[in-house]
Amino acid sequence: MKVITAYCNLRADECLVNGEVIARRDSSSEDSWFKQLYRQQELVYPKFYKMDALSQAGYLASELIKRANPGFPEAYADDEIAMVFANASSSAVTDRRFIQSYEHGGSPSPSLFVYTLPNIVLGEIAILNKWYGENLFAVLPKFTPGFYLDYNQILLASGSRALLGGWLEVTADSTDVFLFLVEEQESGMEFSSENLLHLSQAGSVAA
Amino acid sequence: MIYIGAEVIVSPLGDTAEDNWQALRENRSGIALIPDAGFNQEAIHLSRITGLNGPLRFQRLITQAMATLKERIDASILVSDRTIVLISSTKGALDDNLHDQFSETCVSAKEQFKLANLPLVISNACISGVLTVNVAGNMVEAGQYDHVIVVGCDVASDFVLYGFQSLFAVSDKPCAPFDAARNGITLGEGCGAVLVSATRSVFKNAPLELLTGASANDANHISGPSRTGEGLVRSVTRTMRKHGADAGEIDFICAHGTGTVFNDEMEAIAFDRLALSDKPLNSLKGYFGHTLGAAGVIETAVCMQMIRNGMMIRSMGYRDAGTSIPLNIMVENEPKKLRTILKTASGFGGGNASLMIRDL
Repeated sequence: MKVITAYCNLRADECLVNGEVIARRDSSSEDSWFKQLYRQQELVYPKFYKMDALSQAGYLASELIKRANPGFPEAYADDEIAMVFANASSSAVTDRRFIQSYEHGGSPSPSLFVYTLPNIVLGEIAILNKWYGENLFAVLPKFTPGFYLDYNQILLASGSRALLGGWLEVTADSTDVFLFLVEEQESGMEFSSENLLHLSQAGSVAA
Repeated sequence: MIYIGAEVIVSPLGDTAEDNWQALRENRSGIALIPDAGFNQEAIHLSRITGLNGPLRFQRLITQAMATLKERIDASILVSDRTIVLISSTKGALDDNLHDQFSETCVSAKEQFKLANLPLVISNACISGVLTVNVAGNMVEAGQYDHVIVVGCDVASDFVLYGFQSLFAVSDKPCAPFDAARNGITLGEGCGAVLVSATRSVFKNAPLELLTGASANDANHISGPSRTGEGLVRSVTRTMRKHGADAGEIDFICAHGTGTVFNDEMEAIAFDRLALSDKPLNSLKGYFGHTLGAAGVIETAVCMQMIRNGMMIRSMGYRDAGTSIPLNIMVENEPKKLRTILKTASGFGGGNASLMIRDL
């Protein structure tokens, strides 16, 4: 059966892996929350500092999922891990910064422009891991578990064996990132709409 | 079998696939020199639709393409809950609403055409169009929907032009894909639409067969093409293997061919590795410019017109071989019965996608 073997929730002030809080934001720090997390977790990938917030979020969550699931990438050929990400606001935060670069900063910034596409985060993760698999980025009004379930069915038919799914909504005033890994195993947390919805809210205080 | 048909192209060359075909067979280009368009008010070559100005350009183009497509299909499927519309785009209605570039258009299309499902947006840079046609075919194959309408659209914006200028990637003449003197892209705007379905009777005119393909990341660089063409090789290999097709079955390649030095070189290397470098090939960017999220859909629609009309279209802008591996690039239009065309795309984020269209 298809099961969710690891997941990561990255929010405005905390980061959870498999439902456990692994880091909290230090509000007194001058560093961005994502930089704090990168340092705290002792990650080493200097490209991180060049990335926009969307790519940083995807990088962090995917690295934490790998760490929580040792041996995962090695169990697959380099084109058997598909990535399907989505969000609601595309690359709007970086789009805005790019516009500011030419409206107020003198000239359009090439280093910002290359991040004005939402699928760049998929490319960053593919480059880091040397994954040559299927990639898809969708823009949806809200997190929709059925979208991932439907697409997973398609991916299986095309030879992918694992799915790294993600909802990455990083805006000026909110951070809502949920990455999850789906693999074939005999038992575990079933890859279903109910479970995805439940895990996407892991650790949140019920309203 | 998965059918594809009812193709629509809205571009500077016309409002229907037939108008556009007429322009292509006459080797007319939509590219013109636009005064004051650049960041420093310099003149820039662009492929822009006359009269497409003001707010809601993205929404208007999509509405227009869908209305034209509606005339070519059994219109009752539009309102069915077994039908979904997929929108392929990079920047959507960025100029109307930076923070929500797609919702308003999706809601508007749903209301206007009384769709049962909200359109789904796929945004994967320059491979969006080919990828979305593949998603459509896969959805039908998996039985998730009976009919999938694919609409690829992007409109011209200062945002995108200034961005490519900042990368020094804009050609100082109309783009010249695969040519020795090529030096960048020419941006364009337009909209393409097709219907993908397993039901032949919903098409008013005979459809063609869609052989859905795979995508593959280069895992190399977010904005620079791979030097080995690895992702494109893997995408095409998997697409052909999926359908048990060998190189001998490919009659024609409609390549991505943006006109940048490195992209076109990467494609030449990949086609050589695939033993496809002798296949007749063109890039359509010299006619439409690079329409980003629309390109794959518009160019797939042209592939369908090439099959229907039995004609290979010249690769506009190409004169002298300019890649380390020579390709068989069309320098003149040539009548030929085409059974299978391979369509490819590559883009930022390292994406590569391919599909095949086959005559029935």
